[in-house]
Amino acid sequence: MNTERQGVDYAQALQTLRTSALEMRNDLPAKEILLQDYHPDYGADARITLPVGANAGEFCHPDLAKLLLSRPLIDDFNLAGALQMNTDVLIIGGGGAGAAAALTAAEAGADVVMANKLRIGDSNTVMAEGGIQAAVGEEDSLQRHFEDTVKGGHHAADKALVAQMVTDGPAAIRWLIGLGMNFDLAAGSDNNGRLQRKRAGGTTTPRVLCYRDFTGLEMMRVLREAVELERNITQLNRCPAIELLSDEHGRCVGAVLYDLERRKLLMVHAKSVVLATGGSGRLHLQDFATSNHYGATADGLVMAYRMGAKLRDVDSFQYHPTGVAHPPHLAGALISEAVRSAGTHLVNGLGERFVDELQPRDVVAAAILRECAEGRGVLRDGQVGVFLDTPRLIAKDPDVLKRLVSLAHVAHKCGINPAEEPLLIHPTLHYQNGGMLIDGNGQSTVPGLYGAGEVTGGIHGRNRLMGNALLDIISFGRRAGEAAAQTGLPLKKARGGISHVYKLQRELTRAGIQSEGKAPVLYPDYGRFDLREHAGIQENAHAKA
Amino acid sequence: MSNELYKLVIDGHEVEASPESSIIQAYARAGNAITANVGCMGQGVCGSCRCLIRKEGEREVTTALACETKIEPGMQVSFVDYFMPEHVHYYDVDEVGDGWNWLDDTARIFPEASHCRHCSGCDRSCPKGLHVQDGVAQVVAGDFVAAAATFDECVMCNLCTLACPENIRPNHLGLFARRMKAARTLRPIDLMRRLQQIDNGAMSVDIHATAGEAH
Ligand SMILES: Cc1cc2nc3c(=O)[nH]c(=O)nc-3n(C[C@H](O)[C@H](O)[C@H](O)COP(=O)(O)OP(=O)(O)OC[C@H]3O[C@@H](n4cnc5c(N)ncnc54)[C@H](O)[C@@H]3O)c2cc1C
Ligand code: SF4
Ligand code: SF4
Ligand code: FES
Repeated sequence: MNTERQGVDYAQALQTLRTSALEMRNDLPAKEILLQDYHPDYGADARITLPVGANAGEFCHPDLAKLLLSRPLIDDFNLAGALQMNTDVLIIGGGGAGAAAALTAAEAGADVVMANKLRIGDSNTVMAEGGIQAAVGEEDSLQRHFEDTVKGGHHAADKALVAQMVTDGPAAIRWLIGLGMNFDLAAGSDNNGRLQRKRAGGTTTPRVLCYRDFTGLEMMRVLREAVELERNITQLNRCPAIELLSDEHGRCVGAVLYDLERRKLLMVHAKSVVLATGGSGRLHLQDFATSNHYGATADGLVMAYRMGAKLRDVDSFQYHPTGVAHPPHLAGALISEAVRSAGTHLVNGLGERFVDELQPRDVVAAAILRECAEGRGVLRDGQVGVFLDTPRLIAKDPDVLKRLVSLAHVAHKCGINPAEEPLLIHPTLHYQNGGMLIDGNGQSTVPGLYGAGEVTGGIHGRNRLMGNALLDIISFGRRAGEAAAQTGLPLKKARGGISHVYKLQRELTRAGIQSEGKAPVLYPDYGRFDLREHAGIQENAHAKA
Repeated sequence: MSNELYKLVIDGHEVEASPESSIIQAYARAGNAITANVGCMGQGVCGSCRCLIRKEGEREVTTALACETKIEPGMQVSFVDYFMPEHVHYYDVDEVGDGWNWLDDTARIFPEASHCRHCSGCDRSCPKGLHVQDGVAQVVAGDFVAAAATFDECVMCNLCTLACPENIRPNHLGLFARRMKAARTLRPIDLMRRLQQIDNGAMSVDIHATAGEAH
């Protein structure tokens, strides 16, 4: 990324904005060239080739690659003293995908243990604002949803997975309503009327269903309550998984957790495991600010890769166009796409529009980065961005803030009145497009290991449309939970270990690669967590490199 | 921006941080491992950063969400750890009747709710400023629509549950009302029609018929 911060001074840009006729610049390069030149995925530092493991020879983001190839956290810990636990299905991660998988597995009769790094629900799911896609409109169809998704993902998605997800859409909404989730209704509709539908960038018709602009909160509080009231699900809060367990045939048979309260390792042996650890925004790739929750540190990818699971598209990330750029302490916080879909314009420091705001996210984000790089951004206290022109929208539609509750909330925290002052925005690291390779049941390439949600890849190709992640976690969360409950060998006395971890380490040694650091990292570096220190374990002076 | 730092006390540690910081950001500078009491980090929706604050020169202790609250000089902060109350009101949405017995269902599942003392502990504890006590009364009276609106923006931080001397668990009572209302009454016709078309095979996806350009 360019570090040179140049642009138009805030006060001057604000003045220009107020008197501007908002002409559209017409020098936006063709999509491919724009992305190539300005999207962070395409820069010189954006990808390397993985030297070993299931994806040897394939691209990966360098910061993520470092974690995939690092040393295990429990390098020379003694697992013999760990606490032990048995279950049918172990779910790792308590966001929406994990909760959907747990409920479905329990419904299918399995005993379920759910391990959460933080508390159940402290996740990206609870933060979702915009909504969830499902093709319910009269003019809409599953086919249209399918085509929008495939096209939005630059034709890189696994079409069979997309078809299955969009077909699951209406039933997923019905399932959520059955659990007690509310959805907004179209103006003038009653509970037997029509659902409110919003337009997402990159779609050909309004298809995003929502609850106000805190859909994720509404979804997650219902899912969390349902999980907490389900007696066949045992919850372990503050017990992050730090390694998977394999048996002698390379099957996944559980995981090693670290119990933060007891400061002890805990081994959970399971017939099958569902990985639902979400994304990686808190890795702050290429120094971007992020919209993600505190626990989004790619732990699942690290554990899965060590186990031999194949990943895909792990060099593709989504930078959401509208993150807060100012004030600095809120940098990266999300301003929902709903604000653009309601008709708000993006304006540069010269008072010009420069992109159709409802293009797919990668295009809009690249266009904003281009304005900033070419000196047409707005500078305020060392932060650079462009304007999100809320005053004009609110002048036209004074009631709009009643629908955009979160916008009002963010603006308030930024200390501005959105009816008078525009927000300063800049793209923020938002979503991990790729992840663990799965089939239609969420089954990875490793027997016994399933996955759902942001930790998996293939559904969104190389760019995700708004509203498709929430659908993905319900559709595949339920499928993975169901499949995991049906499969698995009986729990034996002889149980798994972590020999697979050392196998990868040996491959690295053979390839002459010295691993740096340890992973999974569990928390961002400003979280100051050190497992050894926390567990009160002395570093073994003779530990091998 | 100036380089001035504010001094405050967080969980007993003296911390210095820039005036722009939220309590969570200041906490990160205190040097402790942060493994709890944080989730969404600023969006104010997960409710996990609940804390008690006392401002300098004031006697009153108030609740706040630490990620949303800017620091002030001399502020005293203590986090309230997540807790799982012993007493859980178990229910299964599918097993609670068809909606005609809401009043009985509520009384059976949340027997304490009608014992509200109107002490307003819940109101005072709510960092979102919701009218929790009114919400409790609305559920007891069977007005689930009003209660659903009262608890609309609840982030389930559980502070009202901690505050309530009658074990009512007001936020869970509110969520119960919200869930029942949706599960029992929301029947969108467009959704029903689409489900019918999918179930009887009238609508499906042809994955080979993509029109869009490939690249
Ligand atoms: C601000 C924001 C707004 C969004 N808005 C929308 C939207 O409007 N529509 C849409 O479709 N999508 C939206 N998304 C994307 C969507 O919310 C997420 O992609 C989706 O919710 C991911 O769900 P998940 O269950 O896979 O992961 P998460 O919900 O992130 O859950 C993962 C869980 O796993 C836990 N975990 C991580 N590592 C470990 C470990 N080692 N051990 C145990 N647990 C672990 C995490 O702490 C977390 O609780 C948004 C995302 C953000 C950040
Ligand atoms: S109602 Fe209770 S749980 Fe909900 S936000 Fe207020 S105090 Fe927190
Ligand atoms: S704290 Fe409990 S008893 Fe007191 S007013 Fe609230 S609900 Fe009633
Ligand atoms: S961290 Fe989520 S409300 Fe503060």
